Amino acid sequence: MLSFLALLLFNAFIASASASSDYSEHLLLRPLPQKALLASFNFRSNESSTAFEQQNFRYFPRSLGQILQHAGTKELHLRFSLGRWDAENWGQRPWNGAREGGTGVELWAWVEAQNEEEAFARWLTLTNALSGLFCASLNFIDATKTIRPVMSFPPEGDHQNPSQLHLLHGTLPHEVVCTENLTPFLKLLPCKGKAGISSLLDGHKLFDASWQTMAVDVRPVCEEDGECTLETEQTVDMVLDIDRSKRPRDNPIPRPLPIEEIECDTSKGYSAQDTCYPIHKTSEPAFSLSGIYGRSLKGACPLTDESSENSYTVCINTPPERIIHVNTTGQYAESTSENHAMRCYKLPVGADFDLVLPEQQMTTRLVLAQPPLYAARHINGHGQEHGSVQAVITNPSSTDAVEFVYLESLPWFMKPYIHTLQARVNSSPENPIRETYYRPAVDRQRGTHLELRMVIPAASTLTLTYDFEKAILRYTEYPPDANRGFDAAPAIIRLISPESLDKKGIYLRTTSLLLPLPTPDFSMPYNVIILTSTVIALGFGNIFNLLVRRFVGADEVQGMGPGGLKGIIRGKVERLKARFLTKKKTA
Amino acid sequence: MLIDRQKALLFAAAAAVRLLLFTAFPSLPSLLAGRVEVSTPVTSFKRLQEGLFLYTHDVSPYDGGVYHQAPLLLPLFSLLPNTSYYPFATNLVYIAVDLLGANALMQIAESGQSATTRLFKSSRNDLRWSSVAIGAGFLFNPFTVATCIARSTSALANLFILMAMAKASQGASITFVFALSIAAYLSMHPLLLFPPLLILCYDARATRSRQAPNAFTFTAIYALGLVVSLGSLLYISSVLTSSWEFLASTYGVRLLLPDLTPNVGLWWYFFTEMFDSFREFFLGVFWVHVASYMPGLTIRLRKQPLFVATTLTGIFAIFTPYPSIADAALYLSLVPLFRHLFPLMRYTFLASSTILYASFLGPAFYYLWIYAGSGNANFFYAITLVWSLGLSVVVGDSLYAALRDELDVERPELRGKEVKRI
Repeated sequence: MLSFLALLLFNAFIASASASSDYSEHLLLRPLPQKALLASFNFRSNESSTAFEQQNFRYFPRSLGQILQHAGTKELHLRFSLGRWDAENWGQRPWNGAREGGTGVELWAWVEAQNEEEAFARWLTLTNALSGLFCASLNFIDATKTIRPVMSFPPEGDHQNPSQLHLLHGTLPHEVVCTENLTPFLKLLPCKGKAGISSLLDGHKLFDASWQTMAVDVRPVCEEDGECTLETEQTVDMVLDIDRSKRPRDNPIPRPLPIEEIECDTSKGYSAQDTCYPIHKTSEPAFSLSGIYGRSLKGACPLTDESSENSYTVCINTPPERIIHVNTTGQYAESTSENHAMRCYKLPVGADFDLVLPEQQMTTRLVLAQPPLYAARHINGHGQEHGSVQAVITNPSSTDAVEFVYLESLPWFMKPYIHTLQARVNSSPENPIRETYYRPAVDRQRGTHLELRMVIPAASTLTLTYDFEKAILRYTEYPPDANRGFDAAPAIIRLISPESLDKKGIYLRTTSLLLPLPTPDFSMPYNVIILTSTVIALGFGNIFNLLVRRFVGADEVQGMGPGGLKGIIRGKVERLKARFLTKKKTA
Repeated sequence: MLIDRQKALLFAAAAAVRLLLFTAFPSLPSLLAGRVEVSTPVTSFKRLQEGLFLYTHDVSPYDGGVYHQAPLLLPLFSLLPNTSYYPFATNLVYIAVDLLGANALMQIAESGQSATTRLFKSSRNDLRWSSVAIGAGFLFNPFTVATCIARSTSALANLFILMAMAKASQGASITFVFALSIAAYLSMHPLLLFPPLLILCYDARATRSRQAPNAFTFTAIYALGLVVSLGSLLYISSVLTSSWEFLASTYGVRLLLPDLTPNVGLWWYFFTEMFDSFREFFLGVFWVHVASYMPGLTIRLRKQPLFVATTLTGIFAIFTPYPSIADAALYLSLVPLFRHLFPLMRYTFLASSTILYASFLGPAFYYLWIYAGSGNANFFYAITLVWSLGLSVVVGDSLYAALRDELDVERPELRGKEVKRI
């Protein structure tokens, strides 16, 4: 509970702070169980709408601003994600899942347009431009990967004319997020990774994380007096494995320690000089910022407001008993929250800053907030012909029912049978589905779009299943590694009740699915064409040979002895015989 | 009287076998409905259920890539109780469809049009099987039983093809046109059966009335009749689904083959492996090829229209884009009508063993490819080649026998002698 309150405070603190100043950045560190460390980076800047429209960019990145203006995009959400959030051990997701994406790339935007065709054309412009900007394959988001969600994504910003806005959503679950996406991400920041907390972000460590997500969100925020600002929020959340991150880059392979350095469990009978059963350590591991990120924090970004509370940039969420050493040559300040679970630091300007936490045996632990829902999804069945998808969603609360929207966006070659869709709750026989929106896929034109509004009673588990069939594709439609299978995008769950406190909403996502499809033999298009044509020619030739020819008795035909090669040879022999015989006669 | 009792017994036995299979193995229908050999994308019962679900929930079933069957099946099947919970009524419908089909087949057999037509009388026309035996050949054919248990809608198309043939051989021209238009409405390619069956119908009418009707007006009237009844079926469908988009989703799919789900035919793997730039060209070539048999056979075998129609069903079972064993079942049930040709056939052993070989190894090779992963697509592809080859041997051989039989009538002196084709 301690930490949950602290987190709420932290969020509220950021929200209130961001409204006043133009640029702010925050880093929240929270050691998690099993030697994991959550690091949440948040960069936020404001630009007034009028300045934006006059192309007068201060904190707003010009490259992104021009794309948004060109594509008529009023609100943008872009996500690059990797890995799986382990909700059983790590608790509630950062930002309630609202700044998180499904595995791969996920993009959704509110585009201003007169009609759907124009909106889609602008959407293609947007994806192509963002593809160039972020070095990602976003241009592969075509009509088959685009859906128009109806219940899952309400607008986050305040919009003037909502009737002309179109929501489009696309996913690339197969996209591998990597360093080339981080570099353009950092370039959008005012300090560009040279100072401030963004100087910690290193591609080698970020993409080595157990779970990471990068998000870019642009939304208009209007005050009650009608003055609007365009808010850009960039977040990077990651869960690092501390041991893995501390490995030096020149020696990244984990090797067993020499036996002298291991603490052995001497109570085991076989414990001896050369045999050792390592003791499972219960203490919190030691780490330092520079140790796990491989580089040091280069002091505060000078563009952040230095006077307000907002300048306390780096926060760490640990029990108060945890010892933290601050390692810096510059001036820094520390502030502690009321219950001491959150310690925040004001960074020095122009000097390196480091936090060092020694290994420590703890008596108290952080109580991590419980997520409102647990969700898992997988494919049942075997073989490459058909299967079924099963989603298991659990409501851990013992008192409150949870109402949510479940969104699936499936590729067209995975053909669900919606008549087999079944949702069961283990605690009651009532059908949990309240509302269904279904748009079936059309081959090679669009994918399946399924949205379900469902309710889970308290302390219950909902099981959702449906059958699907796998299509076989044309051989040119398979990717180079066809036998690996295809990725199906994660299901997205948005909570309706309990309602979220801000406009961002509460979300969670399942993992993506790997869908093996039947494959043809890629090596033999010519053979197939030849063999099939042969069979057809045999049938056609046989039948038309009978139809166009006439029957006569075998003995009626002159000069047509035995046919074929034998006949020809016999004919030649006869001719030779005749010639020699006549020669003999003349001689 | 004896025939009637035998017939009743046969029908009761066939219905009992099907009921037993339906009730004793409740998972068998869905198992068979998932088999690619039995259910194709255009006949699958599971897809029909999906279409029904969308139809009853006011979503257009044609605004999607799953349902490719005729629109009128939707209101028909929505009258039946939900098959997922109460399958009994649907099962009864399919049993009745099979029995009606057998009844139509027996009517064809009884009409005697297979061996004796208006212009032609086979010299071996005393060599024939009783209609009950032919009906039993249809009802107890494992392919027919599998189609019925899988509840594939090709059973319905087969029924209407058989009805069209039966009515044509009886000279009941209006019902013939109506049955054929339903068959063509359900699966499009039976339209090619119209010319030979029209000749059959004309012959039947001419023999019955002793004064042949004018051939030209007869053709014009019933061609117009076909257009009108087919047009009205399509119009009712468009009113029912309140748009014409079903055309692209039903006949368009048959013509353009967007769904490459494996089946026993020759098209799917060919178009999986085809180079993109040649796809349209080969689609055209393949369809022209299928259609090319109809005029050739109809002209050459003008005197034996029922044989032409039978051979065409065989051609459909091999060369159409989405064939299944149901099409083969129809053809193989019609072949026994021509018992008098059997002595003239040369490759009966080869053809029957090829078909048996393919029907046993087909499922095994499919399993190796899709489930075991120890074979690749070529395994199943090879077996579909063998299957098609086996069927085309039957078609070609029976055609040879029919022509030879005609020759025996034209030139009795050649009977039993060796002949040559020139």
